[in-house]
Amino acid sequence: MEIIIALAVVALLVLFFIAQYNRLIRLNIAVDESFAQIEVQLKRRSDLIPNLVETVKGYAQHEQSTFDAVVTARAKATTASGVADVAAADGMLTQALRGLLAVAEAYPDLKASSNFLSLQEELSTTENKVAFARQFYNDNVRNLNTAVKSIPTNFFAGFAKVTEREFYEVEDPQERNVPKVAF
Amino acid sequence: MATNDFRAQQSANKGKTYFLLASMGLLTGLVAYAALTYFGAGTSTFMVPLAVGISLIGVWGSYYGSDKLVLKMTGAKLIQREDNPELFNVIEEVVIASGLPMPQVAIVVDSAPNAFATGRDPEHALIAFTTRILEVMDRDELQGVIAHELSHVANRDTLVSAVAATTAGAIAILSDFLMRMMWFGGGRRDRDSNANPVLLIVSLFVLILAPIAATLLRSAISRRRESLADATAVSFTRNPAGLRKALEVLAADSTVVHQKSNAVAHIWIESPLDGKAVSKMFSTHPPIQERIATLRAMESLSN
Repeated sequence: MEIIIALAVVALLVLFFIAQYNRLIRLNIAVDESFAQIEVQLKRRSDLIPNLVETVKGYAQHEQSTFDAVVTARAKATTASGVADVAAADGMLTQALRGLLAVAEAYPDLKASSNFLSLQEELSTTENKVAFARQFYNDNVRNLNTAVKSIPTNFFAGFAKVTEREFYEVEDPQERNVPKVAF
Repeated sequence: MATNDFRAQQSANKGKTYFLLASMGLLTGLVAYAALTYFGAGTSTFMVPLAVGISLIGVWGSYYGSDKLVLKMTGAKLIQREDNPELFNVIEEVVIASGLPMPQVAIVVDSAPNAFATGRDPEHALIAFTTRILEVMDRDELQGVIAHELSHVANRDTLVSAVAATTAGAIAILSDFLMRMMWFGGGRRDRDSNANPVLLIVSLFVLILAPIAATLLRSAISRRRESLADATAVSFTRNPAGLRKALEVLAADSTVVHQKSNAVAHIWIESPLDGKAVSKMFSTHPPIQERIATLRAMESLSN
């Protein structure tokens, strides 16, 4: 009888270990996958840029500095690797693209062209997708980091070779608004 | 604080769903017990599994094939990316935010703005929009509506409502059977002759009232799932204003979806049955003004 109880306890413990271990692995993979999603969307955005720049150039030849900023930022973004680098390059490119669209505002013919309109729709949906991919990635990082730090999963983190991961933080001066205080 | 509110809303609504589902289970137990008291063990051991079985077969079929069945019942037509690239763009955005697989998309030709989601699991999900909702809503509002529909998919609401429908169905069938047997005196033969008469009367009342109670519980579960979907939608978009404006557009619009079949009423974002016809307790949706107020409260937190 005692043997059966002892065996049952051991079996339960083993099942518990497996569950904790698998949970950490699953959370870790979710972070990897969601980072890959960010990269997919960033790539999509990069691919849209040459076409967009050409279209705007057709109507606004005198805005060379804006085009240069976009092209430089794009080049940087395509070579970046690692969460912090990708995030920094992403932030720069987002800024440069905003500048480009602001330029477009001054050219009514450009704004009315169907080519530009469809590019603008593509660009804005891609910007949204990038933003949501970041948000999803950060949610996954938050879940993983909570698990790595809290009992009982923290005991298995070393064993599963899972460590805390880095949040994807974009430096964006426009988003750094003064917080509204409500009483 | 800023993000806590939709999380609090989500867990509160989940908690209430569990409570309601447990009540449903309890009610089934009560009905089975009443049957046992009134008719004795012989009849009941046969009737209870039979009622559950019939209900299970009926609901399981419609749950498993929900995406195809609902297409037929609502007259929705599946569309591809080329048919409406902009709609697909907005859907893809929310899909990325939710981490769900891309659902099938369908259009219902209807002059009322509305939308619904169905499918047995996220891999077989279907979301549908009426032609009118695509005309009246801007991008932000549409994003809110899509997030609400995908929340139903993420929260497995087709499964939850199938479970609720099965139990409510089983209770209705059971009480119907037993009532009939009572009129025809079928139960009398194996009724325990020295059963407590008070208990017998209580059992009778339980059998009569149980189907109504089950319907009320089923509606309450549906209302909780709607509130939960609103909260989950905000967790996807982090933009309560989009969904709030969308609901305001729906509230201001008095046209209702053409086919008012009760059977599929619960799946639309806004109840297609008009407010006066169904009393609040039987309604499948919380009052739209209440939903707008909840979202407004979330907005004031996130600013």
